Amino acid sequence: MNGHVTIRLASERVNHCVASSNELPRFYTPGEVISGMQDFMRGHGTYVEDDCIKSSVAGVMQKVNKLICVRPLKSRYVGEIGDVVVGRVLEVQQKRWKIETNSRLDSILQLSSVNLPGGELRRRSAEDEQMMRKHLQEGDLISAEVQSVFSDGSLSLHTRSLKYGKLSQGVLMKVFPSLIKRRKNHFHNLPCGIAIIIGNNGFIWMSPMQRNVIIGENKDEIQNYEHQPINKSDREIMARLKNCVAALVAAKMMLDDSSIMFAYEESLRYDDVKELLDPEVMLDIAFLTQHRLNSIMEE
Amino acid sequence: MPPPDLLSSQGLRLDGRRPNELRRIRCKLGVFTQPDGSAYLEQGNTKVLAAVYGPHQAAKSKSSVEGVVVNCQYSMATFSTGERKNRPRGDRKSQEMSLHLRQALTAAIKTELYPRSQIDIYIEVLQADGGAYCASVNAATLALVDAGVPLRAYACACSASMAWRGAQPEPLLDVGHVEEAAGGVVLTVASLPSTGSIALLELSHRLHSDYFEMVLSRAMQGCKDIEIVLDKAVREHLAEGWTKQDVVTI
Amino acid sequence: MAGLLLSSTEKMYILHGVQDDYRSDGRSNIDYRPMELETDVVSHASGSARLRLANTDILVGVKTEIDEPKPNNPGLGKIEFFVDCSANATPEFEGRGGEQLANMISNLMQRAYHSSQAFDLKQLCILEGKQCWKLYVDILILECGGNLCDAVSLAVKAALFNTRIPFVKAALMDGGSVDFQLSDDPYDCKLLEVGNAPLLVTLCKIGNKCVVDPSAEEESCSVISLIVGITGNPKYYSKESKASLNFECKCSTIGMNGPGSVAPETFKAAITQGIIAAKCLDEALGRTLLRERQECGSYKKNSYGFLK
Repeated sequence: MNGHVTIRLASERVNHCVASSNELPRFYTPGEVISGMQDFMRGHGTYVEDDCIKSSVAGVMQKVNKLICVRPLKSRYVGEIGDVVVGRVLEVQQKRWKIETNSRLDSILQLSSVNLPGGELRRRSAEDEQMMRKHLQEGDLISAEVQSVFSDGSLSLHTRSLKYGKLSQGVLMKVFPSLIKRRKNHFHNLPCGIAIIIGNNGFIWMSPMQRNVIIGENKDEIQNYEHQPINKSDREIMARLKNCVAALVAAKMMLDDSSIMFAYEESLRYDDVKELLDPEVMLDIAFLTQHRLNSIMEE
Repeated sequence: MPPPDLLSSQGLRLDGRRPNELRRIRCKLGVFTQPDGSAYLEQGNTKVLAAVYGPHQAAKSKSSVEGVVVNCQYSMATFSTGERKNRPRGDRKSQEMSLHLRQALTAAIKTELYPRSQIDIYIEVLQADGGAYCASVNAATLALVDAGVPLRAYACACSASMAWRGAQPEPLLDVGHVEEAAGGVVLTVASLPSTGSIALLELSHRLHSDYFEMVLSRAMQGCKDIEIVLDKAVREHLAEGWTKQDVVTI
Repeated sequence: MAGLLLSSTEKMYILHGVQDDYRSDGRSNIDYRPMELETDVVSHASGSARLRLANTDILVGVKTEIDEPKPNNPGLGKIEFFVDCSANATPEFEGRGGEQLANMISNLMQRAYHSSQAFDLKQLCILEGKQCWKLYVDILILECGGNLCDAVSLAVKAALFNTRIPFVKAALMDGGSVDFQLSDDPYDCKLLEVGNAPLLVTLCKIGNKCVVDPSAEEESCSVISLIVGITGNPKYYSKESKASLNFECKCSTIGMNGPGSVAPETFKAAITQGIIAAKCLDEALGRTLLRERQECGSYKKNSYGFLK
């Protein structure tokens, strides 16, 4: 029984760019003048010098009323209130957790911003403080919502809803946040039987569907259930999804439930999931997905 | 005085360039996946990789409320030079280079935006053929752009030297290794060309103050030329990474 | 690299996957991720190669120097390995942060190449007892995406395959000291015999099974990994296929990395698994290298490096 090994040459390297259209938007680069100061306000990615608004990043200008922003192709996550994020617990501190969310500063989850077992509205006791590590410990993944943004830009999160909280078995993927399309809903149950959380911060969580819906009172039961192995067919679908997302990311395509699902459907023409690791196949999938997205937009 | 043979009688340099000609620059943004930003830049035979991590939470000891802490490390691959280097970094020269890089890049980064944060910039010289500092600054700028770090302007660095053509002084742009080794003056300038300000200036060997102005302006012109090359590369990179649907989301 | 933080449930998912022989990206336990190779990327070196395995990126440069052979081995040349973990890979490597890992890998490589059946140092001899070539194999780790050892050994073998050593034109004996004239023509040089050079295979023990080519996530799930160095088969590295049929791969080094321990039975199974994997790697590498050599022919092809 031999393993699968492929070594290609650099001369055969695949360019992952999915050339989508000839009409490119106007790009701005650092130091470039966007407009005079008179009737505009400066937003993210811009600054004022010599009575001019200039770009400070390389990207596309967005105008909302009088506010001018320049959005870069990629950057760290800049949180907004109400965003859905997936984060990892870095540190358990007094009355709060430090969470890694791919932001510029570590985010914070206050003990008062989580649902504790046994009723929502109760005071946090000293006992709760001691039990914090039982609830969430270093390395754990959570889904949460941005509650507020502190003045220095760091985020305060909350998990005070049943859809948020600790994540069980599954796969995390990290992509850059600008690839995530802002949508009303970032929790999706895909028709292939996998639940996916597309965090605004670029962390994407995939898990088998039923696992996130169980809300049992009996803690042991949940624990047991959490530790059950995932069956092979779910595992296969998740691997396929993961590779599809990787293909879309390599082609720098925007991610939302529809693009991921299209990519998944297109990938089914390749029987073996590990074929999807091949750069040429990845490009093929991205290309086919782009094609389908284009045809939808035309309709 | 620099040796006169840096320029041939036809006015060409040792490597066949004209006095005001840059070496060929080829570059690419986003060569790695792990760092927040990365870039590769070739200036002639000098090849440099730059990686940017951050802005991220600064270590407690370094953290500053005033602005972002810029952390640079300059390192040379052991096979980068003609004679093998024993240590890639930690020697006095690379420490000095790290400091100079930090100086030039901090001037370009809008540091005040990001209190309590830190940006790590790592430079790896793969092949050194003169002007490694200049190539490092230019590569780091591209990596910062790739990482989406707000900049006042591009930071570009260029060097210039001086030669004699008959009795006429002639400044030379973008000094290569052979010219460096021939022992002329080397004036290195890191500047923000679009604002015209100088972030770092370094002069080695002696240069008569009468000629300083002339050599400096040639180096500054070089920075401007480099900015155009970098800007073109950034725009190409944007065009490649921008898919159609992005525009619709606005 | 043990810097990656994972939750216990993520680890469980990976563990169950390995048990099922179906990993999180669809690979089985013996599959490698796709690799990309380019040789002759650094012009200041006599030989060089860049290997990218998923997002593990290794650049190797080989430099040559004339040295005196050791008195107890007058007929042998020298080879030395140096690993540098660039901070480009992770901020943890800044300053001297990567030194421990670097030493681990360079020692492993040194040991794997030590045996004469792995790499024949006689070919580096110029004048017995007086002068020999010393090869400096400098390994630069540019990005870490798991499975560093395997990637390093592949890149090293490719770089050595690419290494050209200038012919010595004339030697002048002047009393005790020897003077050489090296050939000036860059094409007047000899290639090294690297067919036997060993490849390292990391077998990462997750649960009670071993996997090859672990990703960074998988590495952080495992308490111990075995690294075996297996000598290569020269028939993959030359066009005239001298059918050395009963060629047998030999194990030139075994190393262990991590705080855990393994049972002797697992050990045996792991080594067998390693030999099989090394054979596949060796064959793929040899074929790719020959293909590249054939493609670029005699003229200097344009190098892609990090551009394209």
